[in-house]
Amino acid sequence: MKKFLKDNATLLALIALGLILTFLSPAFFTPRNLTNLARQVTIIGIISVGMTMVILLAGIDLSVGSIVGLAAIVVTLLMQAGLSAWLAILLTILLCGVLIGLWNGFWIAHYDIPPFIITLGMMTIARGLALTLSNGSSVPVTSKVFSIIGGGYIPKGISGIILAIGLITILYSIYKNVKQQKEYGMEVKKSEVITKAVLAILGILFAFAVFFSYRGIPVPVAIFAVIVLAGVYTLRNTKFGRRLYAIGGNEEAARLSGLNVYKTKLMVYTIMTTLATISGIILASRLNGASPNLGKMFELDAIASVVIGGTSLTGGYGTITGSIIGAFIIGVLNNGMSLLGINTFYQLIVKGLIIIVAVWFDVMNKRKKA
Amino acid sequence: MSEVILEMKDIIKDFPGVRALDHVNFQARTGEVLALVGENGAGKSTLMKVLSGVWPYPTYEGELYIKGDLKEFTNTREAEEAGVAIIHQELNLIPGLSVTENIFLDKQETNFCGKIEWFKLHSKTKELLEKLNITDIQPTDLIKELTVGQQQMIEIAKALSVNAEILVFDEPTSALTDREIEDLFMIIRALKAQGVCMIYISHKMEEIEEIADRVTVLRDGKTIGETTRIKDITLDEIITRMVGRDIEDMFPKQDFEQGEKTLEVKGINVEHPFLTDEKKVEDVSFSAYKGQILGIAGLMGSGRTELVSGIFGVNPDETTGEVYLNGKELSINSPQDAIQEGIGLVTEDRKLLGLLLGQDIVTNTTLASLDYVSKYGVINKLEERKVTNKYVDELNIKTPNIDVNVNTLSGGNQQKVVIGKWLATKPEVLILDEPTRGIDVGAKVEVYRLMNKLVEEGVTVIMISSELPEIMGMSDRVLVMCEGKLVADLDREEATKEKVMEYATGNFKGGSKA
Repeated sequence: MKKFLKDNATLLALIALGLILTFLSPAFFTPRNLTNLARQVTIIGIISVGMTMVILLAGIDLSVGSIVGLAAIVVTLLMQAGLSAWLAILLTILLCGVLIGLWNGFWIAHYDIPPFIITLGMMTIARGLALTLSNGSSVPVTSKVFSIIGGGYIPKGISGIILAIGLITILYSIYKNVKQQKEYGMEVKKSEVITKAVLAILGILFAFAVFFSYRGIPVPVAIFAVIVLAGVYTLRNTKFGRRLYAIGGNEEAARLSGLNVYKTKLMVYTIMTTLATISGIILASRLNGASPNLGKMFELDAIASVVIGGTSLTGGYGTITGSIIGAFIIGVLNNGMSLLGINTFYQLIVKGLIIIVAVWFDVMNKRKKA
Repeated sequence: MSEVILEMKDIIKDFPGVRALDHVNFQARTGEVLALVGENGAGKSTLMKVLSGVWPYPTYEGELYIKGDLKEFTNTREAEEAGVAIIHQELNLIPGLSVTENIFLDKQETNFCGKIEWFKLHSKTKELLEKLNITDIQPTDLIKELTVGQQQMIEIAKALSVNAEILVFDEPTSALTDREIEDLFMIIRALKAQGVCMIYISHKMEEIEEIADRVTVLRDGKTIGETTRIKDITLDEIITRMVGRDIEDMFPKQDFEQGEKTLEVKGINVEHPFLTDEKKVEDVSFSAYKGQILGIAGLMGSGRTELVSGIFGVNPDETTGEVYLNGKELSINSPQDAIQEGIGLVTEDRKLLGLLLGQDIVTNTTLASLDYVSKYGVINKLEERKVTNKYVDELNIKTPNIDVNVNTLSGGNQQKVVIGKWLATKPEVLILDEPTRGIDVGAKVEVYRLMNKLVEEGVTVIMISSELPEIMGMSDRVLVMCEGKLVADLDREEATKEKVMEYATGNFKGGSKA
């Protein structure tokens, strides 16, 4: 039990935070508010997935906030120029995401320059590009197709089916895991399996209740969920994921074991900026337009989410699920304090304190283990 | 007869689940070198940590007397003030600061407005160095410009600067060249004459024989036998006390028939990373055969590690030369290429270069062979565990399960994990760089047995070692390197300890052969 509490401290903190806010504000625990909350968290959440990978490599990416702004400007400008929404999105992902990511990754991997410096430079460059391209002013778009990405909902019926499939998949994978463990003669921890299954069922039921009593799953939340699942799977089950932990843990040992450090770094920074670009596109879609100043300080929110989620800034340890919980904690705090009518100035102070306390808790926890 | 300066009585130290020290009694005298030996995990470090206040009173039971006074150190500073100083295995100096700054770190004398009296400190440093007969180091030299051996001298000077009377050396020679070891021993002898009590921890038996007056053996947290004068005990008896059984054969070399030539390298050159006309390795060619263990001897810094790193593709920009495997020329530009061609390299520093210390045994074991356990980039975790279990069994790695972090394992078991990682790549040629450094006698013999087995299975084994007995005991052929050049290629019959040493130090009188 004690171990359970420790291992899931951030998740429990999130639940506690939700309960407190439910008592304090009647508007908090409503399907409408929770749906909006999920949609708000999406933007930082998607970036946090990439940021987790970058930080696992003991790196950092400060440019993602600016890239959100640049991507929003580029996608809207392309559409203004007459391109269809899909083509504009594809081009934006290639130009802002892949190209800038390769650029960042090249400098970092090839010349071994600290990522802090390279991405700090890119942070300024990307913001400058966004301002130049837009001439410093906002760019509106009027495309129905485009606005669905950030503002649309998946119809209730289909939402229900998706959630049901999701639940079945999760339960099946838990079952398969247990079966494999038994087959292999490993000890199966019953309590752990049951906790996992119960959490999955509760989570899906909760999502079902929330989305079903409002308007269905928001499209951006669905995109977010797909990215998270893909990210979690990649880190847990693929060679690529294993390489991240290895390089973050001991880069030289990893290289001497035949891991391609160069390629891995290049890929991680590319994934990072690509995800930031997707985030920017979703934001532009939700706002039906873009301003060159979009995404300011997003990099810090993403880093905060990752750190609250227990990923070590020195690399090698951490999970995407932790970072997502971290993103939700920040999201719930922002949302709850706004509902309670707390001045945004105070919100900043509270957010800062939460980051410090979360990391302090993590450090103390690790020290006790050692 | 010198007097007892240090006495530890009935020391008990418990860690969760383990009793690290079990009623240890320990005595040391002024003006002697007392060797403290034991396998890894026997409790040597723990005992010294009690002595130096790292484990403060009362986290241990028992009594600690210095010069007859009962001491209860609550921190390291108090131990230091009582005259205890430890020269650590990992040097605790700040590389970017000067010799003086390091010696008087945070103990600098200042004038009335807080300005450090540099001239005074420099001259004091000079005095200290002179006391140790060190003339080639200036007080203003930066630590990073010194060799490892010189740095260690500075550590000793630092200890003396606080008038240490009990000096603990923890594996002091593991990174030193033979000449530096000689210098160190000279200083130890000088200090002995001045009445300093020195406790010398080492795995190297020859050193203990040479420098120590008495020896205390620890095993499983207990002192084994009485503290004995080194003259009255043989090395075999010491080893028996350490491992609790007779090691009838330290080097269980098995002979196999020499097979065909596998690895051949021609004209390997490795440039110095910074200096343009210096070379780390100069024009080295050799061949290795199936059924043989090829030993590479030489002093530290003679270019052995650089040679094998060059072959392995670690520094492709600095390395030139040709590498052939079974007659086919290979093009190796990275460790990845080398592994694919069937070459493995067990690197010398397992913590720095071999292991992911924060990860479990599974991750470490399959790190270099993920291709074998994955399909389309997805790892088959079950297969991965099977492979890991196979090597844990095969190598006799002692661990509660394969999910524990490797940093909880002992040095010997960590080394076995690194070796397991390379065996999992199914290498045709396995190069082992100092495979037994810092591991205990029992684990060493296991590594030797494993090398036999590999040779029997048809793997070509190349072993770099700084320990001559190991080279003599296990190699079929011995290459000797000196200052980047290959200076000798000897059969087992020709290779005597003296001959290898003469080649390695560049003093061979009978003309050179290569």
